Amino acid sequence: MLESWHLLAEGLVAASQPSVLAAIMVGAIIGLFIGALPGLGPTAGVAILLPVAVSFDGTAAIAALGAVYYGAQYGGAVTAILLGIPGDASATMTVIDGHKLARNGKAGAALGLSIAASFIGGLIGLILLTAFATTIAQAAIAFGPIEMTALMIFSLSLVSVLGGRDLNKAMMSLFAGLFIGTIGLDPMVGLPRFDFGEVRLFDGIEFSIIAVGLFGLAEMYATPPSIGKPEENNRFRFRELLPDVRGTLQCWRELGSGSLIGFFIGILPGAGATAATMISYAFAKRTSKHPERFGNGAMEGVAAPEAANNSAAYGNMIPMFALGIPGSGTTAVLMGGLLMIGLQPGPMLFQTQSEFVWTIFGSFYIGNLALVAITIVLTPVLATCAFVRPSYLFPAVIAIIAFGIFGINNSMFEVALVIGFGVLGYLMMKLDYPPVPLVLGMILGPILERGIRRTLVASDGDVAVFFQSPIALVILLITVVLLVSPWLFKNRAGKEHQMDEPQAKKIG
Amino acid sequence: MDTNETHSGIKRRTLLACGAALAATQPFASGLAHASAYPSETINYIVAFGVGGGSDIVARTMAKVIDEKKLIPVKMLVENRPGGSGAVGYSYISSRKGNPYYLGGVGVSFFTTPLLGKMPLSYKDFTPLAAIARSPYILAVLADSKIKSIDDLKSAKGLTIGSAGAVSDPALLSHLLNKELGSSIKVVPYDGEGEVMAAVLGKHLDLLFGNPNEILEQVNAGKMRALAVTSAERMESLPEVPSFKELGHDIVHTQLRGIIMPKDVPAEAVSYWEGVMKTVSESPEWRSQYVDRFNEIPLFLDSKQFGEEIVATSQRYETLMRELGLIK
Repeated sequence: MLESWHLLAEGLVAASQPSVLAAIMVGAIIGLFIGALPGLGPTAGVAILLPVAVSFDGTAAIAALGAVYYGAQYGGAVTAILLGIPGDASATMTVIDGHKLARNGKAGAALGLSIAASFIGGLIGLILLTAFATTIAQAAIAFGPIEMTALMIFSLSLVSVLGGRDLNKAMMSLFAGLFIGTIGLDPMVGLPRFDFGEVRLFDGIEFSIIAVGLFGLAEMYATPPSIGKPEENNRFRFRELLPDVRGTLQCWRELGSGSLIGFFIGILPGAGATAATMISYAFAKRTSKHPERFGNGAMEGVAAPEAANNSAAYGNMIPMFALGIPGSGTTAVLMGGLLMIGLQPGPMLFQTQSEFVWTIFGSFYIGNLALVAITIVLTPVLATCAFVRPSYLFPAVIAIIAFGIFGINNSMFEVALVIGFGVLGYLMMKLDYPPVPLVLGMILGPILERGIRRTLVASDGDVAVFFQSPIALVILLITVVLLVSPWLFKNRAGKEHQMDEPQAKKIG
Repeated sequence: MDTNETHSGIKRRTLLACGAALAATQPFASGLAHASAYPSETINYIVAFGVGGGSDIVARTMAKVIDEKKLIPVKMLVENRPGGSGAVGYSYISSRKGNPYYLGGVGVSFFTTPLLGKMPLSYKDFTPLAAIARSPYILAVLADSKIKSIDDLKSAKGLTIGSAGAVSDPALLSHLLNKELGSSIKVVPYDGEGEVMAAVLGKHLDLLFGNPNEILEQVNAGKMRALAVTSAERMESLPEVPSFKELGHDIVHTQLRGIIMPKDVPAEAVSYWEGVMKTVSESPEWRSQYVDRFNEIPLFLDSKQFGEEIVATSQRYETLMRELGLIK
């Protein structure tokens, strides 16, 4: 391990050469904007830059592409907080409390916290990546279909925390999400499901389309037209645009748990950063002394998911660097980049390309620091966004959404879809159906389905195998305990948690 | 540093926005009244999948070699049109009927998506141009597996094998394998080759049919053992691993790296591209940047030979999909 740090020091030096530094800066800034742009996420960002980047020197190319990836994690929160639109999929949970904070005039504090959370999450993820990449990779692959099934059952049980006041409505919303997750080619059989004869639904519906529609567009649809009167938000104080250091420090617990959960979920092949943010948010709420504050502008509600998505980004790279396995869409593209510059990711990479790997890791550290500097400088400027009147802001934002969604697959069909999901989100808002269980179901459902079906194909339909894996057993037991404990300790929890979702009736 | 690639990369993005407009005007502009001057416009290489995937790497490397060697007098733009399991990209190419300025690559979905019957076109709606590399599959197990040879598969029980997607080359090969050996290895579909590899390394699967590239890396690291290859002959990079054919099993199936154009393009265009691709396939640049790097098998098939392979491959998939009950 000591050797790791020595190698890292050399990597940091190598990554400080001007060409790599320039690549990091370019990548980080592009990533920041791609992340902030609703619809386009890190996968698209890396893909857009890939053909350009690979024509540069190999190390600089991958440093730039990596910077796009983690830069996007910073950027996604900006849109989520200021506009209530997830800038990328993994910023969806940040919307819930972040946007509330911004509407309460704490845009600067929320942004500052998201930067701090991104940095801390990133740093923890990076340190774990640097120190234990190979060991962790070995542990991650112990998670097969059976273990993933258990983990998803555990995660879905968290709906009770995230669902809002009415459990029935939360379940309806969850099942809608599970249904949407089944649209597209059946992953096990290959036949299209619920495609309505529409070939453009073959690959399912992109998550960001749903997230942007349900959260961003729905809220804009619901905003009443301002009637000449100045907006309530117009009290404009410079202090509110600045980060809140004390508030940030108070979230240390969520920053820590978010980082670790994010990292852990990020490593698992096929799980991803978005699932990581959901689980860490639910965990933070579940373990909080004041769960009722979540959903109403809790700083912790920003800290947990933002720490999680950044550390998940590095967790995600571990299977790629250590085993040659892309764990997510973004790392798959990144791995394409490695192949294009003539490197073969795999178990040999650390040995045969040691200098390259450590330079890249070094560039990650530098990039993270650079992003903190860039975003802090930008925060006051960006935060003023929260004070722009909707009549000016919304048309511009809707145009940007249309552009961002179109950019995913160059498809007008998807632009129509996002508008449709905006309407669905509006109806859900008016009828008081919480949107969070829907996105939870849509992200976790497909992973659960694959886990169950893969297990059963391999076991010839024998259900007992689910209980033969020690890891799965432990997870299932924790799930049962968490589900049952509120009943057992009802007297203690007599105060009856008010797990309110944003009421979202009146929007500024 | 290759500035041309950079340039075309940027240009590709700027072109995306006006792609539809371009598409509308091009068929008329390219009536080939002046066929002698072919090609006189930019060539659009449409990749029906995302950036960074296998098809994309083939396309970009090919375009790079053509550009470096200045094999064509015009520019070649690589554009990704993913979606619908290839349906979006392939429909886009085929709708440019008779237009020799659009070409695309052939992947597994080129066959399987039309066979699913959800796309009103098939390989017959395209003109094969040439194929310039061949990628076999290698059947492999973990290094500490009890399976040492193909014969061990016959007696083993409850084995599982991975596949990226329900209908894929590894799925096809696994069914052929079961038929040949009389074994009952179960095919478990995953979402990508990486996930399959992870599941094998994590001992959630017993076997996989992998690309030479990914398998060689694991074999060299001492993590995996290769059992047999699906090419007719042994591979240069794995001289000790037998082919299925020499073991007496009728399993020969490889992925061809070839290009196609829309239907009804002029014969001049076909022979023009046969010439270009022959030069590419014989060039040291293509050898070093693609074939050797990805451990594939060099070859050249002209339009006719490639077309015959396409028909045979499509039939193989059709048989598989019928047996799986995907088509009736």
